[in-house]
Amino acid sequence: MTTNGTPASTTTSEDATVESSKPAATRPGPTLWRNIATPVVLTALMVVLGFVVGEDTLTTLEEVLALVVFATATNLLLGQGGLVSFGQAVFYGIGAYTVALGWLHWHLSFWLTFFLAPVVSALVAIPVGLVALRARRLYFALSTLAFSELAYQLAESRYDFTQGANGVFGPFVPSALTDPIRGYLFLLAITVISLLLMWKVTRSPFGLVLRSIRENRERMQALGVNVYWHQLIAFVVSGFFCGLAGAMFVIYSQSSYPELLDWTTSGSPIFMAVIGGMGTFLGPALGAFIYQFGHDELVRYVSDWQLVLGGVLLLIVMFWPDGILGSLTKVKWSELRKSLKRGGSDE
Amino acid sequence: MDSGSIITNLIGILTTAGTLFMVAAGLTLVFGALRLINIAHGSFYMYGAYFATTLSAHLAGAGFWVALVVCPLAVAVMGALVEVLVLRRLYRREHLTQLLATFALLLIFADIALRLWGKDVRSIKPPSALSGHFQFAGAAVPIYNLFVIGVAVLVAVGLWALMSRTKLGWRIRAVVDDPEVLASSGTNVPLILTGVFALGALLAGLSGVVIAPQQAVQPGMDAEIIVAAFIVAVIGGLGSIVGAAVGSLVIGVVETLGAVWTPSWASTFIYALMILVLAIRPWGLFGEAER
Repeated sequence: MTTNGTPASTTTSEDATVESSKPAATRPGPTLWRNIATPVVLTALMVVLGFVVGEDTLTTLEEVLALVVFATATNLLLGQGGLVSFGQAVFYGIGAYTVALGWLHWHLSFWLTFFLAPVVSALVAIPVGLVALRARRLYFALSTLAFSELAYQLAESRYDFTQGANGVFGPFVPSALTDPIRGYLFLLAITVISLLLMWKVTRSPFGLVLRSIRENRERMQALGVNVYWHQLIAFVVSGFFCGLAGAMFVIYSQSSYPELLDWTTSGSPIFMAVIGGMGTFLGPALGAFIYQFGHDELVRYVSDWQLVLGGVLLLIVMFWPDGILGSLTKVKWSELRKSLKRGGSDE
Repeated sequence: MDSGSIITNLIGILTTAGTLFMVAAGLTLVFGALRLINIAHGSFYMYGAYFATTLSAHLAGAGFWVALVVCPLAVAVMGALVEVLVLRRLYRREHLTQLLATFALLLIFADIALRLWGKDVRSIKPPSALSGHFQFAGAAVPIYNLFVIGVAVLVAVGLWALMSRTKLGWRIRAVVDDPEVLASSGTNVPLILTGVFALGALLAGLSGVVIAPQQAVQPGMDAEIIVAAFIVAVIGGLGSIVGAAVGSLVIGVVETLGAVWTPSWASTFIYALMILVLAIRPWGLFGEAER
């Protein structure tokens, strides 16, 4: 199912060889539990959570879900590809603007624009990726940042089309989603499907090649792998899901404005990935929860949200590069290995 | 275009380019020696400007001249502290770590500035010796702009002399290629790295002081200048002082003439140009391709 014909076992064993050299990376686990039970249990938990919490928290949860998709999509590049993009906000913003402008200019149906949004973002990601990926490392980060600024400037200066700095506000959401719990469940469904699809991408042979490029670009080139095209595909896939996240954003915010496209907006999914653990698949999602709830709690008590955020980020980057899930999984594995060894010597 | 407006535009171009050059040169100098991109470089620029507003408010009259000397030095001390406390520990880690750490610093510095100076727009008056205009070939030339251009030229010449005419410059250029050999030949490499970082911060701080009488000093100017400096870096190429000069001039031309001819598109021209450069030379006009 994962690999379209390639036996699944081959993929897993290859995964293991690549990743054993880098403990912080996403790692294979007992496949049945990881592939079926984890998503089912987490989804069930989230559904229950939706019925338990109050309406305010429900809104925050909706925000979190959009950010979960945004952060996981950004981490496709960051964690899998080792590509630092300060431009993912472009696709997030374009996703939101697709819904908003479709409504504003052409009175398109919400459902059409919602599912069109990721496609539009992916289409824009093709030329952006074609140019930006010609640059390497820091130059790549700088180029993506500059593309973000270009998008921001366009959104702000083309007043006739985008309503400029004011942004577009409107009743975008159809009646089927205005009820908070129904809106939440819809977003949850979209999130679960997106995560499963992205999980499939990271577990596919394509994902393996992407991680191998991150580890040793020259070797992959020598093996005849077209690094540029693999990274471009990853960039477009990431753009697709960032666009979807932007469309999700519109559902609870009922708006779209230029700041969504700004490069500093690209910083937040990177934060989430770093907090939760870039090397793990669900790390960014966990990071999104902590980030958003942390934000909502903190702004009640302190005015210096950025100061706290920057401080936390700095400390994590300096002293805890694996993030939460990254170090959790690390600990478990070394313990497991130890106990296995002990078990072996007893016999 | 008559001679008057040519002069006016030329002054505009050189003023924009001069300010940008001082910021971008510091950024590129630091990249050349430390191989890191400092996103918080814009914070140094902003703090230079804020320090100047505070100092000149307390010292009427000679305040600006004192600020011109003291504030860049204060920012250089900030820079040295940042290098010693944070960046020094991250050199051996991947570039992502350094990008994130300096991004974190940008956020921290921005909030501290907000706490210290508030949201209000601040400004300082240029000293009397530098205010006013004079007539030249049918254009009113603001004296302060000439001062900005003069400082930028001095910085450019000084950097060129430092890097290519002194032993210290030779060591700075050598530090990135072979720090071990340099250290074994008796050079204090960590001191050089701290020094270069502090010098980069000083240049950003100096630029901040110099623009303070011309532009509004306010929150957000850190992120704004860093994006401009990055675009200079993308166009000119990182690590090259010449690239910083050329990139700054290019942006000066596009921004000034764009504002005259099509104001509503001016801001997007620069990015279009940058994309063009990237498509042809992804490492910038004067930069070297990263391995």
